[in-house]
Amino acid sequence: MLSLRPEEDEKLRKLLTELNKESKSKIVLLIDKSGQLISRSESPAFSSDDITFASLTAGNVAASEALSKLLGDKSLNHMFTETEEEGIYMILIEGKYILVSIFDKNLSNLGIVRVKIKKYYKKLVELLNQIEDRIKRESSVTEQIDVEDIDLDTLFE
Amino acid sequence: MPFINFATKEINCKIVYYGPGLSGKTTNIKWIYDHIKPENKGEMITLATETERTLFFDFVPIEVSNVKGFKVRFHLYTTPGQIIYQASRKLILKGVDGVVFVADSQEERHDANLDTLDDMVENLKEYDIDIEELPLVFQYNKRDLPNILPVEVLRKDLNRWDRPDFEAVATKGIGVLETFKEITRQVLKKLKK
Repeated sequence: MLSLRPEEDEKLRKLLTELNKESKSKIVLLIDKSGQLISRSESPAFSSDDITFASLTAGNVAASEALSKLLGDKSLNHMFTETEEEGIYMILIEGKYILVSIFDKNLSNLGIVRVKIKKYYKKLVELLNQIEDRIKRESSVTEQIDVEDIDLDTLFE
Repeated sequence: MPFINFATKEINCKIVYYGPGLSGKTTNIKWIYDHIKPENKGEMITLATETERTLFFDFVPIEVSNVKGFKVRFHLYTTPGQIIYQASRKLILKGVDGVVFVADSQEERHDANLDTLDDMVENLKEYDIDIEELPLVFQYNKRDLPNILPVEVLRKDLNRWDRPDFEAVATKGIGVLETFKEITRQVLKKLKK
């Protein structure tokens, strides 16, 4: 089970925010391959639904990965999608996570984004490895959570 | 695989509605989406063909706030039911925390139920997910149609793991909420373990 401690959340957020700033992106997101949003840069101006974005990104990457396997390639490393105004660059990290940069094509470009991601890549991998090591050491994180008594009826109109 | 963020106090879980083509998977999550309070839901995404058949997946995020200080977010996905989308179905199962198997109760669709169940078991195996340990609920949908199989037959053939099961008419919302509640209960119970 993947979990983030407050200090890890802060470190990740800080790293992604620095990367976002240096690459002049609109936002940088870290997603796991099942479609969960793990962290994102502080980007108050980004107004799209980041949860939905994460799920679609994971679907997109999964489909492209399956395509590359069909073509005989073992792995997909990165992919790029463009809209009229924006570029969306996705790169796989350690085969488990997806780092996404969304940038305005008038303010940044794919080259800058890739160079800056390269700069932060090692740091990010180290941080993720540390988090995974901590998760392995912990026997159970869920003792600290009490999720009983959820009343789902209150959700519905 | 649930994702827990202790900083933002969020728990994220992935629930997948699996079943043969036209069994009512999208109808289930559409009903939930239509009846949930606006503040508890995100945007519904549907990746469908022009004839409204699911092409890749549907997605609905649901938020339950303030559960002892935690916000629980359920991500509901459907799989494309048609046989040709076998490869896509497998992709959706990645990291799944709970499965609702939506079966079509009509006699002529029973072979499709069985094939899809086999396909699901196979896909779970490939992800190393032990079905014995996986939160799982069966729903026998379309109970209002003629030519349906008795529940006992569906149960015997499909619910081999003796999991909770429900009869449903998803187009009218019958059985939809009960199914959803049961799968979320199981997912949260497993989280506690």
